[in-house]
Amino acid sequence: MLRYLAKRGITYVFMIFLTTSAGYFLAVSSLKPALLEQERIPRPTPEQVANSMRLKGLDPDLSPWERYVEWLTAIVTRWDWGRSPNGAFINAEFGERVWISTRLFLAAIILTLVIGVALGVYSAARQYKFQDRVITSYSYLAYIVPAPIAYFLVQLGAININETVGKRIFFVTGISTPGMAAGWAQFVDMLAHYAVPTIAITLVGWGSYQIAQRQYLLDNVNADFVRTARAKGLTRNQAISRHALRVSFIPVAQSIAFTIPAIFAGGFFAEKIFAWPGVGSWSIDAISLQDVNAATATLAYGSVIFAIGAILADFATTLVDPRVRVQ
Amino acid sequence: MTNLNTVDAAAVAQDAHLESADAVIAKSTIIFRRFMRNKTAVAGLAIFLALTLFSFVGGFFTPWNKETIDPFNIGMPPSGDHFLGTSQAGIDLYAMTVEGTRISILIGLIVGLVSVLIAAVYGCTMAYFGGKVDKVMLFVLEALIMMPALLVVAVATSGGGDTLKKNLPSWLLLIIVLLVFSWMGTARLIRSLSMSLMQRDFVKAAQYMGVPPRRIVWRHLVPNIGSLLVLDVTRGVTGAILAEVAFSFIGIGIKLPDVSLGVLIGGATSQVQTFPWMFWVPLTVMFLLTGSLAMMNDGLRDAFDPSSSSVGRAKKKSGQRTGK
Repeated sequence: MLRYLAKRGITYVFMIFLTTSAGYFLAVSSLKPALLEQERIPRPTPEQVANSMRLKGLDPDLSPWERYVEWLTAIVTRWDWGRSPNGAFINAEFGERVWISTRLFLAAIILTLVIGVALGVYSAARQYKFQDRVITSYSYLAYIVPAPIAYFLVQLGAININETVGKRIFFVTGISTPGMAAGWAQFVDMLAHYAVPTIAITLVGWGSYQIAQRQYLLDNVNADFVRTARAKGLTRNQAISRHALRVSFIPVAQSIAFTIPAIFAGGFFAEKIFAWPGVGSWSIDAISLQDVNAATATLAYGSVIFAIGAILADFATTLVDPRVRVQ
Repeated sequence: MTNLNTVDAAAVAQDAHLESADAVIAKSTIIFRRFMRNKTAVAGLAIFLALTLFSFVGGFFTPWNKETIDPFNIGMPPSGDHFLGTSQAGIDLYAMTVEGTRISILIGLIVGLVSVLIAAVYGCTMAYFGGKVDKVMLFVLEALIMMPALLVVAVATSGGGDTLKKNLPSWLLLIIVLLVFSWMGTARLIRSLSMSLMQRDFVKAAQYMGVPPRRIVWRHLVPNIGSLLVLDVTRGVTGAILAEVAFSFIGIGIKLPDVSLGVLIGGATSQVQTFPWMFWVPLTVMFLLTGSLAMMNDGLRDAFDPSSSSVGRAKKKSGQRTGK
């Protein structure tokens, strides 16, 4: 098992290296921070701009390859991901923002998975009944709404609730109120900030899991091994939960690997709309500010998240599927 | 399954005419009938066709176009002059919606169709050759999945000094980027399906007869996963329309002066309270578009699914089981 994980890990590290390098070349050849610098007032001379860029390790006169080598050496030798055109250090800013993003998505991802799979099982056990129809049609509805628009609608709804009550219950943007005293008040304030984004992401996210889990479970409910289990004297629910559920969870576990990066991508939208200064909104800003190093760092982060998701999916598959043996 | 395809048309027509107990009905007829039986799916198809028609001929019903500014009606709610009201800049919303719907449908159709085609060829090639080729191609595929598409879209559509950007309209650029990043999931699925097909006798027979690989892939593998491909086309179209709306919503992707549903919706979010029609009209059109596709999707799956339970008369008539 460990050897298998190590082997997969090495493959993914190589893959991350390739995608990040490709991303760096794409960014370095299309993003020109020097152009933005020239819009400052008072307008700096081209020499001044080039000089200040050179000091930050963003020399525009070097060829993309030279800059790539320089950038890569800094990472490999000092774990230094470079600097932004405004002088900020990528490492420090990244550390701050990754924590914000993780806090925003962790609760939402767990809720999405648990609710989606649970509702999938519930609706599969009651196929074509009223509950099943309501739950499944909701999932299809969530499927045809683009994520940012759904977030926006939830935000509008929260604003409406605030207006009808006449008091600010939910905060629709930001992470916390500045200057709040520690203790109970701060905790309530945190909940008020977390509630809307978490609810929004969860509401949009669980649909695809529900549909997948329902479909796979229905495929298995009438399988021979479930009938055998019933014949042995298990009740229908026992047979489903002990035998059918395990098998039907395998493809769902596989799909988690692909949805974790998707949630990360959805995170761009959530962070933009709810104004959380996380990694996602940083990457968009980095591109509009022509920030090569920040854009590449966020891309590398995305690849790492994907690799973690893929390895977790393998792990989950071996955990639930007795037939899979990894070498 | 393969026998059925080789039955000549005259015999099929005759058999269907006879309506005898063991009449053979052409597979396409069965699929068509099954699809038509699903009322939701037919309604979806009708809505989708109506929207497409609207996006092409809708422009003739209004004297305004997306560039003309009406200085006397700035930010006006729907009225006799402007069916759906005007924007803050005094541009007719109806004209913009027609234009935006056309661009959105165009993006959806092109990306949906072409990406499934790429996925089919790529996935089948991987499954057919296997071994080293498979490993290398799988590696490329996973590396592409790893790239966050959004970043690449943002760089490609907003990168400064890009010569590509000047020559191409932003919607075409978006189509290209979406295409590059939309086919991998389907390709993986097709690969695993084709791998099991490769074990089948008819593929082996073709190999021993010396049929060139390209033709085996095209003639034997692609038709056998046809039902999956049809489904993935509708899903791909929906996905592309949604992706366009999502990207344009947060201000990357399609840029003015090109108009799409996403641009209209995104531009109106800050003024929902003051100009509600600017937000709700394009949003409704988008829901109709994606909703109609989702409705069709369900009917198509029923129609193509060989083990479908909604078999109705077509199945009873054909004594021989059609489909696998």
